[in-house]
Amino acid sequence: MKFKDYYQTLGVAREASADDIKHAYRKLARKYHPDVSKEPDAEARFKELGEAYEVLKDPEKRAAYDAIGRRAGGDDFQPPPGWDAGYEFHGSGPGGEEVDPRQFSDFFESLFGRRAAGGGGRAAGGGGRRGGGGGGAPINLRGEDHHAKVLIDLQDAYTGARRSLTLRMPAFDEQGHGVLQERTLDVSIPRGIRQGQNLRLAGQGGPGLGSGPAGDLFLEIEFNPHPRFRVDGRDVYVDLPLAPWEAALGAAVPVPMPDGEVELSIPPGSAAGRKLRLKGKGIPGDPAGDLYAVLGIVLPPAGSDATRQAYEALKTAAGAGFNPRRAA
Amino acid sequence: MNERITSVQVLDDGVELTLVELCRASRAPEEQVRLWVLEGVLTPRGAAPEEWRFAATALRRARRARTLTHDLEINTPGVALALDLMDEIETLRASLRRAGL
Repeated sequence: MKFKDYYQTLGVAREASADDIKHAYRKLARKYHPDVSKEPDAEARFKELGEAYEVLKDPEKRAAYDAIGRRAGGDDFQPPPGWDAGYEFHGSGPGGEEVDPRQFSDFFESLFGRRAAGGGGRAAGGGGRRGGGGGGAPINLRGEDHHAKVLIDLQDAYTGARRSLTLRMPAFDEQGHGVLQERTLDVSIPRGIRQGQNLRLAGQGGPGLGSGPAGDLFLEIEFNPHPRFRVDGRDVYVDLPLAPWEAALGAAVPVPMPDGEVELSIPPGSAAGRKLRLKGKGIPGDPAGDLYAVLGIVLPPAGSDATRQAYEALKTAAGAGFNPRRAA
Repeated sequence: MNERITSVQVLDDGVELTLVELCRASRAPEEQVRLWVLEGVLTPRGAAPEEWRFAATALRRARRARTLTHDLEINTPGVALALDLMDEIETLRASLRRAGL
């Protein structure tokens, strides 16, 4: 396990005040917020920031963290036995309410424990919270809903796909202790799925407490970027390069589709930038999306005498009246 | 442990969520969601909270709203503004993609 330098993560000095830490966190959290950031590693950075802030904003955790001493981030590290004696968060009690334990590092978990189970202390419906199983009557709570992202290819949206997902989920062992359990789920992703849509897997979320039912698992679908196709909701766009004579005279040309190929007739007199719609050839569904072929014109190079002569002949034929810079 | 999952529900336009379902799935407290509805962050169908039905797309919005509220400590009007601007960015990015830029 590597030591994590939380001060370095937030870019503050070890002597930084609570206010400095808060300001530094907010500034960086805005920068790396996965919904707005364009940084490639935004999501990972955002999680690291959350973890660092979780420790440094809490005077008690910060003091305990400081007590392990100063090390360089990335050094190998094992917490000394009994290092956390005397601090209140010891073990994996019901503290740290809003924190999603699954997103924190092993380093964090070895120091501060992970919450007994996802949502152990939270009432169904998200309302009030209760303590996790104090002496009195047994508590039956529905397990927490969990979320994960699944990356698929555009082709998968046309054909449907199977995905094997490995999830680390909090669960209870026989003694009722929270443990992290690794589960592999085989999920079939139905055809017609769109970017940003969620799949709900009933009962596959966090385990319930007592006789409470398990929560649901939500999978948010994201498409891998495709070198050729662009997706907009249900519609798919593809560039279709044409030779000048195909655009001018009309032609039948093959158009690539995410799940094959289709022949498209180009009407005579087509200009570059024109969009030809292939109705219902976008992402399948009810209604299905459309596929748009965006026409481009590629000129053959005037590298040989023959092509040069052909361009000369075209120039003569078009005459002085043809001026591409004149407004249409 | 390898499990085969057969009951997969796509949250498409035909699916609606109740207030309780939305709260669970977004991990936002109910009072918070009521406030968001009051301020127009979320716009469910139905008059009273127990009749509210949220479109499936509201889940994504509610999860974002929760991150903004919880992680960035933004207040409700700020969340409403940020979400509207994010929507606008998405629309603009989509037109850039359509144009192949």
